[in-house]
Amino acid sequence: MDYELPTEFDIIIIGTGVIESIISAAASRIGKRVLHIDSNNYYGGLWASFNLDAIQKLATVEETLNEGLGNTFFNVKNFEIEWHIPSETPPESTEWSRQSLLKESRRFNLDLAPKLQFARGDFVELLISSNIARYSEYRSVSRVLTWLNGQLETVPCSRSDVFANNKVTVIEKRMLMKLFLALDSGEEDYHNYENKTFRAFLTDKKLTPNLIHYVLYAIAMCTDDTPCLQGIKNTKRFLDSLGRFGKTPFLFSMYGSGEITQAFCRLSAVFGGIYALNQPLKGLILNGDNFEGITCGTQEIKAGVLVMGAEKAPPHFIKQHPKSSIARAILITDKSIMESEKEHLTLLLYPPEGGKNSCVVLELGCLTGTCPKDLFVVHLISRQVEGPQNDFKHIIGNLFGPEKANILWSCYFSIPDSNDLDLTVETPKNVTLCPGPDLDLDYDDAVRKAKAMFTDIFPDCEFLPRAPDPEEIIIEGETSDQDNVELKAESAKTEE
Amino acid sequence: MASRKKVLLKVIILGDSSVGKTSLMNQYVNRKFSNQYKATIGADFLTKEVTVDDRSVTMQIWDTAGQERFQSLGVAFYRGADCCVLVFDVTAPNTFKSLDSWRDEFLIQASPREPENFPFVLLGNKVDLEPRAISSKRAQQWCQMKNNIPYFETSAKEGLNVEQAFLAIAKNALAQQNSTVDLYNEFPDQIKLTNTNKPNSNGDSCAC
Repeated sequence: MDYELPTEFDIIIIGTGVIESIISAAASRIGKRVLHIDSNNYYGGLWASFNLDAIQKLATVEETLNEGLGNTFFNVKNFEIEWHIPSETPPESTEWSRQSLLKESRRFNLDLAPKLQFARGDFVELLISSNIARYSEYRSVSRVLTWLNGQLETVPCSRSDVFANNKVTVIEKRMLMKLFLALDSGEEDYHNYENKTFRAFLTDKKLTPNLIHYVLYAIAMCTDDTPCLQGIKNTKRFLDSLGRFGKTPFLFSMYGSGEITQAFCRLSAVFGGIYALNQPLKGLILNGDNFEGITCGTQEIKAGVLVMGAEKAPPHFIKQHPKSSIARAILITDKSIMESEKEHLTLLLYPPEGGKNSCVVLELGCLTGTCPKDLFVVHLISRQVEGPQNDFKHIIGNLFGPEKANILWSCYFSIPDSNDLDLTVETPKNVTLCPGPDLDLDYDDAVRKAKAMFTDIFPDCEFLPRAPDPEEIIIEGETSDQDNVELKAESAKTEE
Repeated sequence: MASRKKVLLKVIILGDSSVGKTSLMNQYVNRKFSNQYKATIGADFLTKEVTVDDRSVTMQIWDTAGQERFQSLGVAFYRGADCCVLVFDVTAPNTFKSLDSWRDEFLIQASPREPENFPFVLLGNKVDLEPRAISSKRAQQWCQMKNNIPYFETSAKEGLNVEQAFLAIAKNALAQQNSTVDLYNEFPDQIKLTNTNKPNSNGDSCAC
């Protein structure tokens, strides 16, 4: 077993968040010597998934700063964990207890930053075109819900949904189909709506209040103030991703979103990237306005370029501190929010209500590989107003309680949003900082950011060209002591 | 036997760096060997069709891709493994000592439903080299202690016992799958992303 890391690289990447991992894969893929290193002993950083036991431990270490590199501006905050069940139940009892739930700890994969993918979004296209798709499996979101007139309603997303929905009148069905058709054909003229809201557009289309609700809050995921053109764009994006892999436009990665970073890291490793988690990162070696290397334990490791997660940066690199936060809740429940014969993977788009922002609610059953049988994991994600507990109070009150699904365990926290900040480092020039999780439903923006950073660091290099299939890797030469293993993959990666 | 449908077995190979994991895979699937030591580059997973008891089986053998070198294999690597192959170098005692921690690590990370019955196979590789540090007896004793893990002494260089070892791996993995049909169907209808625009069976392919 090796203990000493090699000491010369083209690029060092600190932190294994999504953007860092995409850049790592892209750099290895074109033959750069990559060291991908993390002080954590797990992949994913602020994008990681944890089992039940591990997420509880996380709550107790949140305020401690890693020795050496890092800052506390982007730490997960307001961590509150609460059990809603007894610590033990009699042996013959079928009720869940703290003990029985913790026994299943490893069946849970609880995401800090759960994400969905649009079936035809940039992220899915990148996974396919780069061949990274082979490292992960997906499930399709099977229904989209919204909260309308004090109850849960299924959002009609496709033609068959529209017709099957008995809450939508025949006239409304016709209106909705007409709108979808018009948006899809692109023949609609939006000239008069450049300074108007999407709600105004839908109102002018004479849609009924219920239809406006479905389209505005669920399909387009807008607020009352969203400009018309943005709303149109969002609606088209939703419609474009229908019918590729399932009934809704969305995919969820099996075992949680934390798997995604590991898929990119795997590709990086396959192309020679060196991986080292749990490393004692001590500091950066700087020479004026030039980054030269890192100190890790007693070793000095040199590289021409440094990419790091913003949370790993020395405090003086951070020009702006986070101004807003992502409010989060994770619940373990004993029933679906809307029971049905088969297990659903549910996306609930909860509209803004009483000064609280709209909220994305994701309900995952055991078929997603994120919780044990007969249980559900519910994620709530919103732009923070007061704090996670208060921001979600009305939603949790409406969805859970007696006669409904029960909450067995709850966890609240806030993730500072680093996406609206200027993360450029004035000096040194050869250092790039990556933002953490954003509020988007999907990874498309993260892909755009990673690609822009990669292109900035390695101009004129192809971004994640298709990796060869294992069968295409041909090993030349027969058994002899002077054998050279020539891998097609290797020659491919040196062709920049 | 539950069904005759095509069987895919995921096999992962674990062990310290440079015990010959990638070489064993290459020897088995491509019948090639390189003596030049190189930390794993380009090795991802290899597939091979095998026939076990008249059943056609696709074995997908996953390499660590070098991520084991600094103990940085993520949990994603272990997902859904049907068999775990442990490898050590018969000339390097430390690689034998590490076997316990590799086995434990697998059981923790993969958390199989029945850890005591999960199929492991142990390979003592590099038997073509001298001097030998770990005797057959010692390795066999270790296997007995671990619920009778099958043991093979191999040389990836000379192709010695490699075919036999992997056939045993396929057999054990298949037996495991057959005995736990539930496990096999634990996550039905998973989607593999491919570049198809598969039309939806409900005719939802067009939004309008």
